[in-house]
Amino acid sequence: MANKQLVKYHPDTRFLTDYAAGSLPESQALCVAAHLHHCADCRAHIRELTQVGTELFMEQPAAEVSSGCLDQVMARVAGAINEPAKTPATAANDSSSSDAVKKTETVSLPRAISKMTSGNLENLKWRTLGKSFRYSTINTGDEFRESSLLEIKAGGEIPRHHHGGDEITVILKGSFSDQEDKYNVGDFIVRSQGETHTPVASQDEDCLCITTLDAPIKMNNVFYRMLMPFLNRPTSA
Amino acid sequence: MGTQDLNQLGRQKLVAVTGSIKTHPRNMNTSVVKDESSTWTECLLRIANHSDQAAFQQLFKKFSPLIKAFAIRQSAVGEQASLSEELVQETMVKIWQKAGSFNPKKASASTWIFTIARNTRIDLLRKTARHHQNRISNDHSEDGFDVEDIWIENEDEDAFNQLVKQRNNEMLHKSIKELPDEQEFILKKVYLEDKSHTEIAEELNLPLGTVKSRVRLALTKLRVSVER
Ligand SMILES: [Zn+2]
Repeated sequence: MANKQLVKYHPDTRFLTDYAAGSLPESQALCVAAHLHHCADCRAHIRELTQVGTELFMEQPAAEVSSGCLDQVMARVAGAINEPAKTPATAANDSSSSDAVKKTETVSLPRAISKMTSGNLENLKWRTLGKSFRYSTINTGDEFRESSLLEIKAGGEIPRHHHGGDEITVILKGSFSDQEDKYNVGDFIVRSQGETHTPVASQDEDCLCITTLDAPIKMNNVFYRMLMPFLNRPTSA
Repeated sequence: MGTQDLNQLGRQKLVAVTGSIKTHPRNMNTSVVKDESSTWTECLLRIANHSDQAAFQQLFKKFSPLIKAFAIRQSAVGEQASLSEELVQETMVKIWQKAGSFNPKKASASTWIFTIARNTRIDLLRKTARHHQNRISNDHSEDGFDVEDIWIENEDEDAFNQLVKQRNNEMLHKSIKELPDEQEFILKKVYLEDKSHTEIAEELNLPLGTVKSRVRLALTKLRVSVER
């Protein structure tokens, strides 16, 4: 989980609090988790925010639980006694799976992403746009937002585009720049509706990002439509 | 909402509000809190090491009414009595199954249990939603992600020593009781009712910025650093 580079852009308190409380939509929580993977500061902050939740949880007036509930739980628990103990913490460290391919081996990806790719980005379905850009849609089950992995080839750029909704981007590998700044691994970048920018990947390395974009209507190809605002007609792709 | 705010330009620290501690008639007994907390830790360790059912029942007695209350506060779960008991059951079974991974150096027993209840509630809501919508799955669809792959258990060991931690928890415990009603109200919406800032803004018909600043104000009172 360590990252030597300094993470400069962090989720604000709103994102961190909603994440700690569990109410942040999964598609956005995925971006926060990607940031936390690289940011010990925000992990410490999440720890504090979770403590606040714990305190409120513990102070709740007790609600009556039906008398059969304990019996049912005990029956399930007794059934589980002979099963081998679960060790979820180690089971989750699957980034070292044997079929990992050289290409991504060197990058430490957030757990959810590394499970999804099973160690190789080529396991995903990619759509290519132009020479230097491709994306792969992630199904988070969120109807209102679209999440994707984006890859910009070294030196390549994403065509100038306009945001129809809020967009969160977290860099997983490499770096990119836009008119405002240069962004590195772990940076959590929020762009609001109406902003225009032209991200360019740095020359020495391909850039991999995760992005979650507000998408009021569920469409197959939101990202494509975002890039091509004038073709934005709700026909099914 | 300010774009600036969202972009987190700069990381100026808001100085925590100190002093002006109101004395409320509500009193608190820190020694009870302390004793209880170590009881729950022992229970979890006994479950982990000895599959101790008596320890588990002791936890059940304390936590199941809290989990049920937590379930009821979430409107979609609370509407159905069966769902709120399902949350109690699922959470308690997970506590049993996962007790072996509980590490008192990383989290207190109550935080660990709260986290499991929170994740289980996310999971339950997801399943209910999936059940109701005829979701169109695409590409590598299946079931999306495991909740634990996104809401990841903190692997960092707590840097503070036990004494400092205990003092912090006591301070938090105390200062929550001293929050003005408005701030306590909004924090409960955030943490217990499972409402995001955006949802709270809609429900209370307030600008998102107002909700954000109230939450920040409350957190500052609780001496939780609000850097951004
Ligand atoms: Zn951070």
